[in-house]
Amino acid sequence: MSAFDYVRAGSIEEAVALLGDPQWVSQPLAGGTDVMVQARHGPVHFQRLVDVSRIPEMKVIARHGDEIYIGAAVTYTEIMESRLLQETATCLVEAARLVGGPAIANAGTLGGNVGNAAACADGTPPLVCLDAVAHVRNLAGQHAVPVAELITGPHQTALQRGDLITHFTFPVAPAGARSVFLKLGRRNAQAISRLSVAAAGALGGNGRITFARLAPGSALSRLRRFTEVETMLIGEEPHQALFEAAGAQASHVMELATGRRWSTEYKEIALHGLVARALRAIFLNPEN
Amino acid sequence: MSHFTQPLEYVGRPAQRVDALDKVMGRAKYIADYRVPGMLHARCLRSTLPHARIARLDTTPALRVPGVRAVITSDDFVDHGLYGFPVKDKYMLAYQKVRYVGEAIATVAADTPQAALAGAQAILCELEPLPALFDATRALDPDAPQVGPDRKNGNREHPNLKSDHMLVCKGNAEAELADCPIVLDRRYFTDWQEHAYIEPEGVLAIPTPEGGVVVYAPNQSPFINQNNLAMVLGLPINLVRVIQPTVGGSFGGKDDIIYESSAQAAKLALVTGRPVRMVFSREESLVASYKRDAMHMHIRLGADRDGTLRACWFRGILDSGAYASETPFTAWRASIHAMGAYRYNACDVDVYCVYTNNGYAGAFRGFGNPEVCFAVEQTVDELADMLGMDPIDLRLKNCLRLGDETAHGQKLDESMGLVECINTVRRLSDWDRKRAEYSRQTSTEKRRGIGVAIMYHGMSLGAEGADYAGATISVLPDYSVDLTSGLTDYGTGSRTVFTLIAAEELGVRPDRIRIQRPDTNTAIESGPTVASRTTVLGGNAMRAAARNLRQTLDLAAADLLRCDPQQLIRVGESYVGPDEEAVAWEKIVDHAREMGLILSAHGKWEAPKIVWDHHHGRGTPYMAYVYGAQVAEVEVDLRTGNTQVLHLWAVHDIGKVIFPQGAYGQLYGGITQGLGYALTEQITYRDGYIQETNFESYLIPTSVDVPEITAQFVESSYSYGPYGAKNIAEPSLVPTAPAIANAIAHATGRRVRELPMNLERVLLGHDLQPPASRDAAIRGVWMETRSMPQTPAPAAPRIYA
Ligand SMILES: Cc1cc2nc3c(=O)[nH]c(=O)nc-3n(C[C@H](O)[C@H](O)[C@H](O)COP(=O)(O)OP(=O)(O)OC[C@H]3O[C@@H](n4cnc5c(N)ncnc54)[C@H](O)[C@@H]3O)c2cc1C
Repeated sequence: MSAFDYVRAGSIEEAVALLGDPQWVSQPLAGGTDVMVQARHGPVHFQRLVDVSRIPEMKVIARHGDEIYIGAAVTYTEIMESRLLQETATCLVEAARLVGGPAIANAGTLGGNVGNAAACADGTPPLVCLDAVAHVRNLAGQHAVPVAELITGPHQTALQRGDLITHFTFPVAPAGARSVFLKLGRRNAQAISRLSVAAAGALGGNGRITFARLAPGSALSRLRRFTEVETMLIGEEPHQALFEAAGAQASHVMELATGRRWSTEYKEIALHGLVARALRAIFLNPEN
Repeated sequence: MSHFTQPLEYVGRPAQRVDALDKVMGRAKYIADYRVPGMLHARCLRSTLPHARIARLDTTPALRVPGVRAVITSDDFVDHGLYGFPVKDKYMLAYQKVRYVGEAIATVAADTPQAALAGAQAILCELEPLPALFDATRALDPDAPQVGPDRKNGNREHPNLKSDHMLVCKGNAEAELADCPIVLDRRYFTDWQEHAYIEPEGVLAIPTPEGGVVVYAPNQSPFINQNNLAMVLGLPINLVRVIQPTVGGSFGGKDDIIYESSAQAAKLALVTGRPVRMVFSREESLVASYKRDAMHMHIRLGADRDGTLRACWFRGILDSGAYASETPFTAWRASIHAMGAYRYNACDVDVYCVYTNNGYAGAFRGFGNPEVCFAVEQTVDELADMLGMDPIDLRLKNCLRLGDETAHGQKLDESMGLVECINTVRRLSDWDRKRAEYSRQTSTEKRRGIGVAIMYHGMSLGAEGADYAGATISVLPDYSVDLTSGLTDYGTGSRTVFTLIAAEELGVRPDRIRIQRPDTNTAIESGPTVASRTTVLGGNAMRAAARNLRQTLDLAAADLLRCDPQQLIRVGESYVGPDEEAVAWEKIVDHAREMGLILSAHGKWEAPKIVWDHHHGRGTPYMAYVYGAQVAEVEVDLRTGNTQVLHLWAVHDIGKVIFPQGAYGQLYGGITQGLGYALTEQITYRDGYIQETNFESYLIPTSVDVPEITAQFVESSYSYGPYGAKNIAEPSLVPTAPAIANAIAHATGRRVRELPMNLERVLLGHDLQPPASRDAAIRGVWMETRSMPQTPAPAAPRIYA
């Protein structure tokens, strides 16, 4: 275990000041469920952890008009228990339920999930699916970046030293929209996602698809919405063959982006199936 | 026996585990909790190559690291620390060569774990790579790299052949197969399995003023450890004392690796004159410790069109890695069980193990039977499919019954509950309805399946070795009763079993009884604690000890109450004589002492003699067998290969159940371990480097993976067992994986012939492997040992057994 210093911040201002202090190489610490594992595995690149897990403003879940606001230090348990998120971000709530186990859900945060930016992360596909924006503070001020742009690759983000994600926002989906999250792991808990799918959608008055979002996890090296699949859904009537075609298209997109890797033979079949299943759950709402 | 006519007071009744409260209250102390004044910390330098010559080993730089007190190598042991049973092929620290990644080369003792690690890293060790062998099926090729030791005395066997060919022969199987209208020819593979004991390896050695050493070690068999220690340290046996503290799980995994760690810590304790403790990190544990062997199997089953089994031909190769450990015995047990619990006209089994540079394998719950059961039970199921027969009907048609002779030539003349197990599990699982219903599914998303597997499992060591156990019992001054057993409890519940047996025989309450931790200075050597033998062997010994003591007390009671011992009756603990006055047990004890009687006794029990002819593969391999049948119901996601086990029904014939909660606990635990073996637990050696070094990649089931389990026992009494008991620990997991495999085949129509049946194998029919990496293994070799938060030292440092 590497040696490093620790300090707890009481407010966003204090955290930003501590993180921006040029005397130290500092890094935010939220639940520590990624940071502590890394520290155990080998040398770390920071000298000091700035604990942001108890900053009140960063623990807020709220609705501001047509926008949902989630503090970056909100834990998975808090997400699961939020009535507001159950109604407006089902996919995020379902993802939170599937993260690790109770201990991890109690400690792990959404900010940490984005900050760690694992390709197999479960919190990030719903955020991207919901078109969430990360709000970043540092000594220079505040800026907003879409989560899909903030995460640039496996364990890579556009965050700079001194940056703190304070919260995420995303627009409330159109009326009647539903969203789901499907996770495929090797066991039912404490499992790294082999694949996941966050999807959202809504039908118009004519029974045709007017809103469709798809963000598979563990599929690409850089997380993004599969707009190639979304566009083929818009304006269509929901039916099984369409979803199968969408599933096949999603696998195709994945393969184009990643090339054939050791896991492609498996993932192309599984992603196809998961996407079709997710869309069916949203638009047809069958038993499984 | 008279005991079956009298109602039993404690045996077979609900009881609380004797160690339950200590464990749930956090009072139980494990090696990592032990702390003694002046204690040093030990750490091994381990190999990062799968096969190499040790070209140079210079420990002096380590001694210059601040805090380092001593470093030892194989030179510090008698005969370089050569040990091992049944094959003496391993050294307490590597000598001249290393044969697997993670093999210990030198051990450092230092003031802190960090200093010990720094010391290990400072050792100058030059390893010269040797050609390595990873494919067990090529191990005996003439040009295969030599991994095993040189052959001696003109023995011309291939040096990579680790064991004899273990044979079972009945009639002419080739001819019988040629004559069978239906022959199935199948290959199966079962992968390595990690024991995943929650407590990683640890040991504490304390030097004694007499020049000896006391070793606290969570080993399965303290007397074997003691013998090894005396041998490699060059000490008389009575200067070596081994005490087993609370053990956090073992499952067969705490034999050799603990003996080795014990020898290293003990030597360092003798060299430094200070206590030395060594505790592994999880990563070090996974890299360094032995596993369940991987097994390549080829089976041919021949049958008539009506489903009558006629012949079994079986070939098995165990990849047991770089050292023998107990795997020659595993191969033998595998051979005995390879044909399953069925009748055949002819049988031809040949199983052996080979050396490779893939880690090393040793004992693991089930000991060869889970591997072969996976093969034979799937093949039998396929036969049923081919013939359009119900799999349970086919099994009932062919399975061993009372009075039958096994393929080895053993007459089964008592305690045979297999048919009852099968019939009961069929009824409990609603087999017939579900089998029919699930055969009609059309969904392309998810399908259910139900599958069965049956098994038998030979009790205790069988022809592996002498089979006996001893126990002691005494009444202490405060009227409590003190027990020892040479067989140990590493989580199995045997201490509670012994307590109940002693209570029953002595007629005293279990809460009066306290059973000591195993200690080579107080207990009677009883052979190894393996092979699910503890209840029968240790239980009979305890029963004998308690009866001996009871006889003494009865004499005292008869004397006090002025009657014949036969006239005495017991009311609760009290004795009642002809005058019908109840006399407290304490009074009888007092009187016995006044009479000068000694209130301690010991008991010994030896298993009935058995014979096995290794050359002809015939005889009586085991004194008796336990039987079982399990049914698994699964739901398979046809689009992802994800398999959910929805329910498991298990009915096992274990003879008389002595400690019901303990027996169910063993069954549930075994099924859970079998579930992991079936679906998720995968140890992958890639070019000799283990890929899974912690529980994020080595996936044991979590609580939400374990299905509802419905368990029941068939108690077909065994005349040599205590109260008719047999055993349960190992057999519980044997049929689980094949039952799940058969359920998957029922759901999907496709067979998975390799373990684990992971997502890829279920969906694609074959496994996919990520690019091989050495990182995890090498990180494991150097992983820092967890440093415990420094708690204030207790006023008087206390180590208790
Ligand atoms: C046993 C176990 C199981 C797990 N299972 C899952 C799982 O199923 N799915 C899953 O997705 N993950 C899983 N994880 C990973 C981890 O729990 C999640 O990624 C979690 O969301 C991390 O959050 P945290 O608050 O603990 O982050 P920390 O460990 O505190 O931080 C992670 C990274 O994010 C940075 N960071 C934290 N907060 C901020 C912020 N506000 N602004 C900028 N940077 C920040 C940190 O500096 C660090 O680099 C598991 C981990 C463990 C140990």
